[in-house]
Amino acid sequence: MKRHKVALNAAAALFCVLWAFPVYWMVNTAFKPYGRILSPTPAFLPIPLSLGNFADAIHKPLFGTYLRNSLIVTASVVLLSLAVAFFAATALTRFRFLGRRGFLIGVLTVQMVPQPALLIPLFLTLRSAHLLNTLIGLTLTYVAFVLPFTIWTLRGFLHGVPVEIEEAAMVDGAGRMTVIRLILLPLVAPGVIATSVFAFITAWNDYVYAYVMMKDQDKYTLPVWLVSFSTSTGTDYGGLIAASSLFALPVIVFFMIIQGRLVEGMTSGAVKE
Amino acid sequence: MHRRSLAPVALGAALALAATACSCATSGQARSGAAGGKTLTVWYMDGDLSSQAQNAIDTAFEKATGAKVRVQIQEWDDINTKISTALAQDNPPDVLEIGNTDVPLFAATGALSDITAHRAQLAGGQSWLPGLVGPATVDGKLYAAPLFAGNRAVIYNKKIWGAAGVSAAPASFAELTADLDKIKKANASPGFSAFYFPGQYWYGALQFVWAAGGQLAVQNGGSWSGALESAAAQQGLAAWKSFQNTYSTAASRDADTKSPDQAALFADGKAAAILDTSVNTVLKDAASHGDNALKDQIGTFPLPGAAPGTTQPVFLGGSDLAIAAKSPNQDLALAYLKAATSVSVQTGAIVGTDGWTPVSTQLIDQTSGSLSATSQAFAAAAKRSVATPATPGWATIESDKSINAFFADIATGRKSVAQAAKDFDAHLDQALNAAQ
Amino acid sequence: MPRSERGVSGEGAAGVLDPASPAQDRGPAGQGPAGPEGKRAGRRAARRRRGGRGRDRALPYVLLAPAALILALVLGYPLVRLVLISMQDYGLRALFTGTTRWNGAANYRAVLADGQFGAVLLRTLVFCAALAAGTLVIGLLVAQLMGRLGRRMRTAVTLCLICAWAMPNVAATLVWQWLFQPTYGVVNWLITSTRLAGDYAQHDWLAGPHSAFFVLWLLVVWQSVPFVALTLHAGLSQIPRSYYEAAALAGAGPWTGFRLVTVPLLRPILLLVTILSVIWDFNVFNQIWILTQGGPNGATSTLGIWSFARAFSSQSFGQGAAIAVVSVALLLVLTASYVRRLVRTGEQL
Repeated sequence: MKRHKVALNAAAALFCVLWAFPVYWMVNTAFKPYGRILSPTPAFLPIPLSLGNFADAIHKPLFGTYLRNSLIVTASVVLLSLAVAFFAATALTRFRFLGRRGFLIGVLTVQMVPQPALLIPLFLTLRSAHLLNTLIGLTLTYVAFVLPFTIWTLRGFLHGVPVEIEEAAMVDGAGRMTVIRLILLPLVAPGVIATSVFAFITAWNDYVYAYVMMKDQDKYTLPVWLVSFSTSTGTDYGGLIAASSLFALPVIVFFMIIQGRLVEGMTSGAVKE
Repeated sequence: MHRRSLAPVALGAALALAATACSCATSGQARSGAAGGKTLTVWYMDGDLSSQAQNAIDTAFEKATGAKVRVQIQEWDDINTKISTALAQDNPPDVLEIGNTDVPLFAATGALSDITAHRAQLAGGQSWLPGLVGPATVDGKLYAAPLFAGNRAVIYNKKIWGAAGVSAAPASFAELTADLDKIKKANASPGFSAFYFPGQYWYGALQFVWAAGGQLAVQNGGSWSGALESAAAQQGLAAWKSFQNTYSTAASRDADTKSPDQAALFADGKAAAILDTSVNTVLKDAASHGDNALKDQIGTFPLPGAAPGTTQPVFLGGSDLAIAAKSPNQDLALAYLKAATSVSVQTGAIVGTDGWTPVSTQLIDQTSGSLSATSQAFAAAAKRSVATPATPGWATIESDKSINAFFADIATGRKSVAQAAKDFDAHLDQALNAAQ
Repeated sequence: MPRSERGVSGEGAAGVLDPASPAQDRGPAGQGPAGPEGKRAGRRAARRRRGGRGRDRALPYVLLAPAALILALVLGYPLVRLVLISMQDYGLRALFTGTTRWNGAANYRAVLADGQFGAVLLRTLVFCAALAAGTLVIGLLVAQLMGRLGRRMRTAVTLCLICAWAMPNVAATLVWQWLFQPTYGVVNWLITSTRLAGDYAQHDWLAGPHSAFFVLWLLVVWQSVPFVALTLHAGLSQIPRSYYEAAALAGAGPWTGFRLVTVPLLRPILLLVTILSVIWDFNVFNQIWILTQGGPNGATSTLGIWSFARAFSSQSFGQGAAIAVVSVALLLVLTASYVRRLVRTGEQL
């Protein structure tokens, strides 16, 4: 048994090394001094340690503005998409109504459309709606991209909550909306949090929609900052990799906070009698 | 020169006055134009002009018209899509800096204003570099004014050259190959290139085609046809293939300049010479990151032509300034273009502050004396340039990497020179003539 | 819309993992799995609930409205526009001037008749299959591994997975470029150090179509496995240990246990994850575009890349749109069996 455990742990350790290597390489390179980034014999430790790349990354003009916009848009996308998807998923799982199946199929179909293909049509649509160059327009775009997956996943979680609890509450006189708000929502909260990851990543990482739909520089988001390290005079690799490390950090932190909930959320509601 | 440059300014002011019909008696100072309340939106590309150079242009413009400038910096990634969508809106930016080879894309499709009528004023008697003004002229009409040029010259490591017994830069192509042979013999290690020339580096490879008298494509009537199968072009291609194969490593035949990084190879001493622009990282890093050892070892010279004292025609990178067709501030925008192409701005900001190549041969001659030793070569090389085809289809060729593949196929030997030219000509015929 | 009452309800199904039988139609106040009588009673109750007060009848529509609105306006309408553009001669001039010209099925004919179409299609299907298979197999293995680890090791593995998932596309692709580049790449250096394959220092991974696809496969799988692994791990942890113990007592080996216990119980989640993987892997774009732009010589050009190149390199938005529509149709065909099952049973998928 002990040997088995050791073997498993060894396999896990090997997996960790392999899987984290590119991330480690990114952070390792970010701390190297500029001239040492590319060398024929790779240096596995950033000695001498240098913070120059990070300084370069942060001191880019408008970094603060881009950061603020990214935070606003991402937070809005996460909150809005979760709220909208939760209600939609509730409707889809707790009720039977005309058009339910059609809606489900529609949701599945729009997931299949490749995002880059919608660039021009979405541009034309936002232009007609006068939502170009607004953070609201961008937020709605990301919410729409994220909704299909979120609705689909929340459906799964909602299936896991037994209807008896709601029925008991309704027998006690609670209205439908109260039940949804006070009973259903807390029970799927972990699942809701888990699904927020997808919305976070989509809103945080997208470049082309943020770049094309916004006109003014003060409306750009952080991904524009990432590509600004490649200009016509060449690429500032040090700054770029330091920026990428910083850019990935909030996502990883967000993940780690919710990862406890992630598994809990996906297993919540399992009813086994 | 001076008397002439006042006229357009006065004209612009008069037009602005007439256009706004505002009485400026209320403002304390005497302003030359009633455009005091207006703001011009100008889009610049990240990394092209320094903020000082931009300020110089803005100041010249503000002095001339009294209007303000709102500068927005854009990134290169997906820029054509961004400009396309920006110009398709009802409130586009007034003036845009567009990469010179991309101008036909927007000019031929109706997004830019036709400024042919103002060409004489904008040029002010100078001969604009063909590489800058050629792509901006579609069907005989001018759609953008040159802003600056960037081109390539040879950057070499004086220490390695000296160690091989070469002390002076070559003045003819034959001298160059002789020098490179010496260097190659003195450094026989694998992975070392006497002249590192990636197979995909079409900006440089085109120089050989043009030097032999060949062309990429010619326009007959309204349609373009690929011209790489001509005898001259074939000769140039063969010459390039032999040069590349002889002096650059085998691994470089299919590579581009990024992977592995050409500047890094040079800095590591793995390449004794490279072909690159004046603002490439090698020269920049040597200056800013304190790589002092390398700084004093760098020398430059334009890639010489066959005849002594001549240089190969170069591909001109750089940008033009264009006016959006839907912009409501056409006259102000024109004034901005005039400010940017004026002699004072070109010599002071474009060359003086930023070290780019100015837009005309006269300006190049005028400013060459003030350039640093390493920058002279680029200016000298820029005097002979060839324009890329002024058709929207050229943007396709640049972005679908077919031209990279074309040269890499020749360098690696995947296709014979004749076959590669035949295939690429077919692609050029189709792409350059694609309707918009 | 035909409403099939074949024993599956949307109300109160049990758990993300449903044991083999479809969900029971629970009677009022939790009577548990009911016989036919209970089912009828349950259906009557359900009908009562459905036909209840007017406000309740409108409630599902009210709840669905925001999602339906956003999806219709921001995805639905552009999708319609995409189809319209695919039937127009839509280039930059059309974008700037607003005047468009219909050309019926000309774009589709041009795309389908294009010499490249067959190769692009084949590449997309093979690459999608390779990606999905790789992601699912590795994901399942990792999920199994995670289930058997102690808490600390499991957290470590989760952290590594999350780092891979969280890394932005641009950064990940840049790191991949660095790892695999000639002269300065770590991978080449490692291979040369093992002295198994000679001097690999100059090997250009992106020069040949197969090695380029291999590098891309590694990159996409690396970023996709975390989602699959974590989801399957969640699913696996829902299976009670007692089932496995029972199987072991009955003499089943580990493989049989996997086949008879894990697979049936994991099926819904496995299906969901497979469908999502297929859809996402079919539409992989960013990594390929940044790393190879569809090169070398178009060898890594999938449908998504081809559509983008037609639209934004050749400025032929009409053709790009046609390719996109074709790819959606294809994906629908690929996932048809799943969609059909969804239409028929309506739930649990």
